[in-house]
Amino acid sequence: MTAWLFGICAVIIHSPDEIRARIIEETLKARGMNVCVCPTLADMDAMLKQRSSWVVILDTCHSLSAFMPFLTRLSQKKREGKALRISLILQSEDFCVQSDEALQDFKFRRLFCLPDPIDPEKIADLARRARPSIIPVIIAFLKNTILETIRLFLKTMIIFFILVIGLAGGYVVTCITSLPSTESIENYTPYQSSEMYSADNVLLTEFFIQRRTYTPLSQIPPHVSQAIIAVEDTRFYKHNGIDIIRIGGALIADLKDRTYAQGASTITQQLAKMLFLKPDKTITRKVKEIALSFKIEKNYTKDRILEMYLNQAYFGARAYGIEAASQTYFGKPITAIDISEAALLAGLLKAPSLYSPYKNPKKALKRRNLVLKQMIAYDLISSGVYKKAVTSPMPEKFHGRKYKAPYFVDHCRTVLKPKLGDRLFSLGLKIYTTLDYKMQEIAERAVNRGLDELDKRCAKGIQAALLAVELSTGRIKAMVGGRDFQISQFNRATQAWRQPGSAFKPIVYLTALNQGFKPQNTIQDSGTRYVLKNKQTWTPRNYTGVYHGTVTLKQALAHSYNAAAVNLASRVGIKNVIRTAQRLGITSEIKPYFSSALGASEITLLELVCAYAAFAHGSRIEPMIINRIMDIDTFTITEPRVSSSRVIGERELAYLKSLLRAVVLQGSGRKAAALNREVYGKTGTTNGFVDAWFIGFDDFLAVGVWVGRDTLTPIGEGEAGSKAALPIWIEFMKGVQQAQ
Amino acid sequence: MNTTNEKMPSDQSKMPNGEPLASGPSGIDIGTANIVVAQKTGKREITRVQLNAFYTLPYSRMTELALLNEGGMFVKANGKIHALGYQAENFANIVGGIVKRPIAGGILNAKEEDTTFIIQALLNKLIADAPVKNTKICFNIPGSPIDDTVSVFYHEAIIKKYLEQKGYQAEPVNEGLAVVLSELAVSSSNQPYTGIGISLGGGMCNVCFAYLAVPVVTYSIRKGGDYIDAMAAEAVGETPGKVRIIKETQLNLTKTPVGKIETGLHIYYEQLFGILVKSLQTQLGSTDRIPLLRKGVPIVLSGGVAMSPGAKEKFKLALDTVRLPIVISDIILAKQPLHATARGALKNISSVKSGK
Repeated sequence: MTAWLFGICAVIIHSPDEIRARIIEETLKARGMNVCVCPTLADMDAMLKQRSSWVVILDTCHSLSAFMPFLTRLSQKKREGKALRISLILQSEDFCVQSDEALQDFKFRRLFCLPDPIDPEKIADLARRARPSIIPVIIAFLKNTILETIRLFLKTMIIFFILVIGLAGGYVVTCITSLPSTESIENYTPYQSSEMYSADNVLLTEFFIQRRTYTPLSQIPPHVSQAIIAVEDTRFYKHNGIDIIRIGGALIADLKDRTYAQGASTITQQLAKMLFLKPDKTITRKVKEIALSFKIEKNYTKDRILEMYLNQAYFGARAYGIEAASQTYFGKPITAIDISEAALLAGLLKAPSLYSPYKNPKKALKRRNLVLKQMIAYDLISSGVYKKAVTSPMPEKFHGRKYKAPYFVDHCRTVLKPKLGDRLFSLGLKIYTTLDYKMQEIAERAVNRGLDELDKRCAKGIQAALLAVELSTGRIKAMVGGRDFQISQFNRATQAWRQPGSAFKPIVYLTALNQGFKPQNTIQDSGTRYVLKNKQTWTPRNYTGVYHGTVTLKQALAHSYNAAAVNLASRVGIKNVIRTAQRLGITSEIKPYFSSALGASEITLLELVCAYAAFAHGSRIEPMIINRIMDIDTFTITEPRVSSSRVIGERELAYLKSLLRAVVLQGSGRKAAALNREVYGKTGTTNGFVDAWFIGFDDFLAVGVWVGRDTLTPIGEGEAGSKAALPIWIEFMKGVQQAQ
Repeated sequence: MNTTNEKMPSDQSKMPNGEPLASGPSGIDIGTANIVVAQKTGKREITRVQLNAFYTLPYSRMTELALLNEGGMFVKANGKIHALGYQAENFANIVGGIVKRPIAGGILNAKEEDTTFIIQALLNKLIADAPVKNTKICFNIPGSPIDDTVSVFYHEAIIKKYLEQKGYQAEPVNEGLAVVLSELAVSSSNQPYTGIGISLGGGMCNVCFAYLAVPVVTYSIRKGGDYIDAMAAEAVGETPGKVRIIKETQLNLTKTPVGKIETGLHIYYEQLFGILVKSLQTQLGSTDRIPLLRKGVPIVLSGGVAMSPGAKEKFKLALDTVRLPIVISDIILAKQPLHATARGALKNISSVKSGK
C-alpha cells in the first residue's frame, strides 16, 4: 500500500527536453519511485488537480524565465489551498536560484534548485527527501477518498431522490387514478337502522348493522358541531381538505413526545377514509385519503361535508352517526343534547372504546372536559357555560336497542329476513306492524298474572303463550311467546307444536256440520272399542270417566265428551276431519287416527287461533304481521293485503258458533261468561294436564292461550284448560274490553 | 510485376539450408553487410546471419535451375532473376561480378533498382509470417548521420511496413542502443544499460550514449567497413572485394601490417576510429543532456569492423587522443560483435523500452 501511495506519480517531472526528463525518470524509477513525466506544462497542471501532495521536478533547460508564469500559478494554487503540499526541485541554470527572492516568496513546502548538468542521483535523493511523509499522504488519500465518497454518496442520493420522487409521483398518479368517484357520495346512503313500529306507532325495535339514523345538519344543534370541530379539526372551515399547519404542529408535538399520538387528519380526510377506504395504515391509503379529501372539498360545501361526517362517524357502542350516539348514550334525540353531552360525544370520536363513559368513565370525563376547554379556547362557549358543563354528570345508563313485544318482533324478523335480506338492517326502513301495543301490554300483563297464579299452585317452569288475531283481517294484534324473552327466545305461540286436546274438537264437529249434522242431532257417548291399524284396540275415555250415552252434538262439545267426539269423527271420517283442518289453514300434520279427533296431533297456537278466527265469520284468514313497510324516503315499499277465503257455509257457521257459545254458557268455558258479552271458545286439555288451552273469539278478536311446560311434563294436577288457560284469556279479553 | 521463385524449397518454413524460418518475437539487425535475426527459443537465444546482398542476372530457365540445384535463395522479377544473400555472393564470384547491396551507408540504397523489393524478399526468406497477429518484432535503425543530410525516416518506414505486412508489431530501436542493451546489462558504472554503444557496421558507425537505457546521445557517421575496404582498395589499387577478404581473414590490427593491403587497412581503420572518437568528443560535448556521472562508463564495440583482431586496441589508441566530457571506464568488445545489435533488438522487446 505504501508503495502505491508513494508510487503513483507522487513525483512528476517536466522538462522541455524529453531525454533529460527520461534520465531523471529512469533514475528515480531505479530507486523504486514511481514517477510521471509530463510532456507539457498543461499535462502537469492536469496532474496537479488530481491530488494535493506532490514533488514537482521542473527542468527549465536554461530558461527559467519561461517557467515563471507556471511557478506563479503553482504558488497561487498552493495559496488557494488547491495544491497544498508541493515540493519543487528546480533544475535550472548555473546561478543559484535559491537566492531569488521571487522564488522564495512562493513558499513551496520544499524548494531545491540544482544547476546543470543534471545530477540524477542528487535529484533522486532530494525527491526522496521531499516526498511527503506517509501521514499527510494517507490524510490526503483519505481526504480524497472521503471527499470522493461523499461526492459519490451525494450523487447517488440525488439520483436516488430523483428516482424516489419519480416513483412516488407515478405511485401517487396510480393511486389517484384508482380513486373512487366522490360523486358517488351523491348516491351514497350510509347504513341506517330500520325501525319497527306497532300499528299504534310505538317503536318496538331497531334492526341495524350500524345503529344509525341520518340527521340533516339543520337538525343538529350548532353546539354539537362546534364541539366536534373544536376537538377534531379547528381549522375545518379554513383549509381545503388538508391542514398543513396542523400537520406541522402534530409533527412537532410527536417529535417532542416521541410518540405518534398527534393525528393531523382533518374532518374531510376522516370522512374520505370512512366512506371510501379501508382502515389500514398504509401509504397507499394515506395518499388516496389526501386525494379524495381534495376531491370532496372541491365537490361539496363544508356544511355538507360536516353533515356527512356527523352521520357517518362511529361513536362506540354500535352507534353510528350523531343521532344514534345521542340515543345510545343519553336516550334522547340529538336535538335535545346539551353542551356537556355534546362534548362527551365529540370526545368519543378519537377512540370510542377508550373514552367510553361506561368502560372508562374517568378517561371519558377527562376527555369531555378537554373538549369543553377547547370550546372555550375558541370562544365557542362562555366561561359560565363551561363551568356548568364540566360539573354535569356522566351518562351511566346504556340506552341500547329497544325491544318491545320481543316475541312478536322476533317473529317478524324471522319472517322478513328471507324477504328483505340485509336491507332489513341497513336501509333505514320503517316497518309498521299489525301489533296493537296497548293490546300487547294487556296480553303480557295477562300472561304474567296467569303465570303468577299458576306459580302459586304448581311447580315453577310453566310457560304460557297468547295470541290475538283480528278476525276481519288476520292481523296479529298481540303475541306473547313465553314468560320472558330474555330467558327463552322460543316462541310458543308460533314455534311450539303441542297437542291441542279438546280445542281441536270443533274441527271434528264442523266436519259433521258440513256433512249435514245439526247441533241437536244426537251421538253416542259410550265406551266404544276401536280396532287400530296395529290390531290393538282403543277405547276413548271421558275426562270424568263417565259415558253419557246418547247426547246432542251441542252437549257433547260443550262438555267436551271424548267418546262422543271420537264416535262423531268415526262417523264423518277422520280424513274428512283432516281436510277440514287443512281448509281452515292448519298446515301441521294431522295424523289419520281417531285420537286426532281428541287433539292428539300437534299443531301451533297460531294455527289453532287462525282456525278459530274462521269459526267467527266463516272465512279462512292468513295471519298478518306487517301493515306497511316504508323506505328511508317514506315511500311504501310493501303493504300486504288481507287475504281471506270463505271456508264455512253460513248455516254451518251459525251451528258451529252455537256449539262454541254453548261451551262458554254451559260447558268447560263457563268462566268466560263472566265477560258479559258474546264470546265463543273451547278449552283443551291433554292427557295428564300437560297442555292447557283456551281458544275463543268475540266479534273482533280470535284469541288463544296455551299453558304448559317446555319439558312436556304436567302443569299440575287438575290444571285443565279451563283452569290454567282460560283465566289468562279472560284477563286479556277484559283488558281489551276496558281499553276500548 | 515482381514474383518470387516459382519453385520454392519444398518446405517454405525452412531456409535453403534446412533451418526453419524465424517466427515469433525476434530482433533483427538489417545492416549494410548482413541481416541478423535473433530469436529466443525457450531459454536459448539463437541468431542467424545472411548476407544482405543480391546479384541480378537476366532470367533464363537454366539459371533458375542452377539456382534451384544450389538450393539458394532467389527471386524472379521483371525478366530478371535475383540471387539473394550468400547465393548472390557465390554467383558473383562465379561470374566475376560484384554483389549489390540493398542497404548502402546503413539505409536503403536509393541508387539500386528493386531495393525495396529485394529487402522484402530477403526478409521473407528469413522471417516467417507472425504466428500470432501483432507478435512483437524489433528492428534496428541507424542514428541520424552527422556527416550526411540523409534521413533515416524512409528506411525505417519501409522496414516497418514490410514487417507489419507479415503480421508483426514492429518497433524500431537505435542500433547503438541495441548494442548497449545487448552488452551492458551489467556495467562497470554500476548503472545497468549505461555506457556508449558503438556498432561498427559495413555502411556506418552507430553511436549511442545511454543512461539507464535512455538514449541520451545517438548519432551515426556514414563510414564503416565498406568505407575502409573501398578507401584501402582505392589506395593500393585492389578491388574492395579482395581487400575485404584480407580484412576478414588475415588482418590483425595489433600487429605490424604485412603488405600494402594490410597497411591500407591499418591506415583507414585508424582514420575511421579517429573520426569516430572526434565525433564522440563533439557530440558528447555539445549536449546538455549528459547527466552528472559519478563513475566512468564503458564503451562497447560491436559490428563486423570490430571483429578484426586489434580493433579494440586500435580504438583505444584513438580514444586516448581526445578528451571526452565523460569518463570512460572501459572499452569492451561485444561477445558476438556481429550478433550484438540483433540481440539488443530482441532484448528491447522484452525487457527494456525502446530507446527512441
